[in-house]
Amino acid sequence: MKFLSLRLLLVVATALSACGYEQQPAITPSGRTINVGIIAPFSGSDFAKGEDGLKGVKTAIKMQPLLDNGDRIELIVRDDQDDPDKAVKALEELVKTEQVTAVVTFSSSGPVLAMAGIAKALKTPILAALATHPDVTKNNGYVSQLCFDNVFQGQVAALFVRDELLVDRVAVFRTSSSFYSRNLAIEFENKFTSLGGRTTDSIALQENPANIAALLNGVREKDPELLYLPLAASDVIAIIQELDQMGWKPRLMTSDGLLATVVSQHKEQLGLLDGLLATDFFHHYSQRTKFGKRATKAYKGRGTSYGALGVEGFAILLHAMNRCHDPADRECVNRQIRSTTDFEGLIGRISIDSDGKAHRPLVINAIKNNKLEYIVKVY
Amino acid sequence: MEQYVSKALFVHTTDTEKLLDRLQNHKSQAAITPVLIDTLLADPQKVLKDVDHVVVCGPLETIKAVLKLAYKSGFSVGVMPAKPHKELARFYNFPRNPDAAADLALRADPVTVDLVLCNGHPVLSKAIIGDIPLLDAPADVGKLRILLTGFRRIFNIKLIKYRFATAGERQIVTAASGCMIFHHHKGSMAARLVEDKSAVADGFASAVISAPISISKYIFFLLRLLNPTIRHERIPDAIGYLKSRVIEIESENELDVLIDGEKCTRTPVRCEVKPSALRVNITPALAKKIAPAEPARERIEVDHLPRGKELLKAGEKETIPFFSYASEERFQDLFAALREDAEINRIYLVLMVLSTMLAATGLYLDSASVIIGAMLLAPLMAPIVALAMGLVRGEEEMIKKSMLKIMIGMAIALLASTTITLLFPHKPVTGEMQARLNPTLLDMAVAIVSGIAAAYSKSFKEIIQSLAGVAIAVALVPPLAVAGTGIGWADFNFFFQAFLLFSTNLVGIIIAAAVTFRVLGYSPAIRSKRSLGLVFLILVLIGVPLYASYDRIVEKRIMEKNWKTERFLVNGKYIIIENADLRWQGGKRVVVMEIILRDVMTREDMNAFKRKIDTHFPGKFIIRAKTVYIP
Repeated sequence: MKFLSLRLLLVVATALSACGYEQQPAITPSGRTINVGIIAPFSGSDFAKGEDGLKGVKTAIKMQPLLDNGDRIELIVRDDQDDPDKAVKALEELVKTEQVTAVVTFSSSGPVLAMAGIAKALKTPILAALATHPDVTKNNGYVSQLCFDNVFQGQVAALFVRDELLVDRVAVFRTSSSFYSRNLAIEFENKFTSLGGRTTDSIALQENPANIAALLNGVREKDPELLYLPLAASDVIAIIQELDQMGWKPRLMTSDGLLATVVSQHKEQLGLLDGLLATDFFHHYSQRTKFGKRATKAYKGRGTSYGALGVEGFAILLHAMNRCHDPADRECVNRQIRSTTDFEGLIGRISIDSDGKAHRPLVINAIKNNKLEYIVKVY
Repeated sequence: MEQYVSKALFVHTTDTEKLLDRLQNHKSQAAITPVLIDTLLADPQKVLKDVDHVVVCGPLETIKAVLKLAYKSGFSVGVMPAKPHKELARFYNFPRNPDAAADLALRADPVTVDLVLCNGHPVLSKAIIGDIPLLDAPADVGKLRILLTGFRRIFNIKLIKYRFATAGERQIVTAASGCMIFHHHKGSMAARLVEDKSAVADGFASAVISAPISISKYIFFLLRLLNPTIRHERIPDAIGYLKSRVIEIESENELDVLIDGEKCTRTPVRCEVKPSALRVNITPALAKKIAPAEPARERIEVDHLPRGKELLKAGEKETIPFFSYASEERFQDLFAALREDAEINRIYLVLMVLSTMLAATGLYLDSASVIIGAMLLAPLMAPIVALAMGLVRGEEEMIKKSMLKIMIGMAIALLASTTITLLFPHKPVTGEMQARLNPTLLDMAVAIVSGIAAAYSKSFKEIIQSLAGVAIAVALVPPLAVAGTGIGWADFNFFFQAFLLFSTNLVGIIIAAAVTFRVLGYSPAIRSKRSLGLVFLILVLIGVPLYASYDRIVEKRIMEKNWKTERFLVNGKYIIIENADLRWQGGKRVVVMEIILRDVMTREDMNAFKRKIDTHFPGKFIIRAKTVYIP
């Protein structure tokens, strides 16, 4: 009788434990390998995009080592140093020589816009993880965005500044040579002024700007409450260093990816950047999905936004491949990427529409006490 | 001016013969006649002829042999220990230095002392039977040794039956791990536990009986030993003490008797005191210290030793149980009080009616102070505690009576509150009522802690007033009053929720109080587990809906916290969420929230907003939104 009870207990315990886990059916390896290209800056001023992004990609593969049909993914990685010409060369090589089925890129809007120019000819799906410029998907059937675009980001930033920070006057900065910066600054400014806010200055910075102090003195005279800085990390740091010397402490807001670059590449500047707000893709403390919790565990450590996009981007690509009869069929994979609906990302659902635009939550983070602090999430 | 003997017989062994020079060269110039112990024992009458004083030097058995002869022949004895004999030195404080020892041994002012003989064997320091954890250790033993030795023995203690008899013909049948017979207990660990003025010449011997009936009692005993500075008036729970001219000991099994560290005899043993039997040279300081201060008398302290049914329990297992147990005689007053608590009387009935009416009125008034008054007035706690004790001890009579009393109290409360509800024309659901409609595991936690406090307070008269605090912490009558209100309104969900809270409190208190009584050592020697098992089963059954409620609370807290940082961009309109509140209505999840935005929300916007919530938040929500516009 006791033995019977013990067996019954074991059966119940096994059944209960089975209920607690999602059982993945075992996949038999097919022996076939599908090549997927990764183009990202692994050197130069933005190397964190490549390093963190690739770590995220590898995490996604660790979570799903084989496709549903047993095919294995082989990563072919190329460093474009965030340079448009090098990005185009890398794409051509990956498609023509390495016969990749798809490309995931962690390059910024400039290089991706350049790649978009030849994507149609190459007929290869490109998933742009970080390029937020709205034109990367324009007139182009093969480049899809994983990130939100500048229209959404600019609007949310303007609404947050106006309705939550209750700011009336802003000075907007942009880098003349950056598609991304110019575009985002315009989106922000348009929305902010449409909400009744006033732009005291609209500053176009040259690359490696000289005499920032004089520039900022001029801005200060018009008494803006907030400086909007959709710039490269080095430019933001240079401006904040100058503000610090001036003893002027306006509120500061920047854009996607900047805080991830600071955390990965400029940790020593965290103290100086205290209070800096930014639109972003991810924060560890934001409410995570089940997938987000599993991914964070597999990632081992608190990832940056780049790492988060790496996991999400590759998981979406694998999801798209799994929905194709032949996962190496570029056309099918491209179609499936562009029909991603309510895919469970790390902090919310992600959909990619037929125009290649992603619809996903945005977070606003800040640097406080040398740490990245989560402020709000916008759906 | 010291007086010395003029002549003395020096009894030695071959090893101690060399000390003869010291005696012969002593300033007293006493005439010393050396003799080997074997020669003395071969013909004592011849050797001891005309001897008034003997100096003995040798091992313990040599000294004891001489003392036995001294008891018969009446000569005085000076002792020179062959080597530092710790036990002897501790009890008689003999000098270690050979010259000082010789000086003391030749003195002419011996002190008259008693001789304790156990089955004819002299006892110089102590006789031990069985296992007496730490009692035989010196008083100055370190705390670390107490802990190490104490805990090493913790799972090896076994009680067996003993019969003790004293000269006063008192018979004590008990169970013990062992006992120690001694002459005087100055400097021993026993002196820390038993306050007594025993002396070497008071005509009495003492016995300390070790009887830790449980591991918990044994741990308390160890803790007491660890704190030597505290003087306790009571003998510890695990200890018994006898002082008599004669102590007879019989054990269930025949056991060795270790006299001064050597196996000399076996039980049964008769230890008797030969008063003023010896004249021994001891230091004046010790003589003063152990002189009888007042006439001694027989003393028997055995209240803490197992008796009655406890003896059956003691012999049941190989080792002692973790928790203590007790026969009824041990806590007569408490049990009598609890039996009284289980009886239904007029005061109880009246107080139940009044407290329920007060609680019902307070609930309608939404007045916390009136409800607290009702809690204090409510007499339900007493039968619940009695029921817990009844369950622990398996006393059917107490269980039946206290259960009946509780059920009658519940019926009165439900009837009184239903009547008040029917009489009241208005039917508001006040905050105080609502607070009693969603019991969770946290309420169970409150009930359990309160049950522990109730049992603890009831166990000690000096803190009995704390029961009032317990009554407030875990309210019994207000949930019953709300349940009665539910009956009055014919709203059975209302009734069920409030009654679930009452049941939670009731079962939580019973279980916790029962466990507490058990830990405090009130469980009977022979226990019944059936009734307590039933209450545990009810606890588990109640736990299921409570867990579900607790789960809801956790979900509510997480959701409300997270939603403070959620924003939505719907058709270009930025929506700020303020004060989201998750509620359950008719089994559905309803989020009541305040939203702040700049533009007018159209029906289309609302639908898009709802779609976004459905997409990003698992589970179905019904949204109720109050809109605040930014001008």
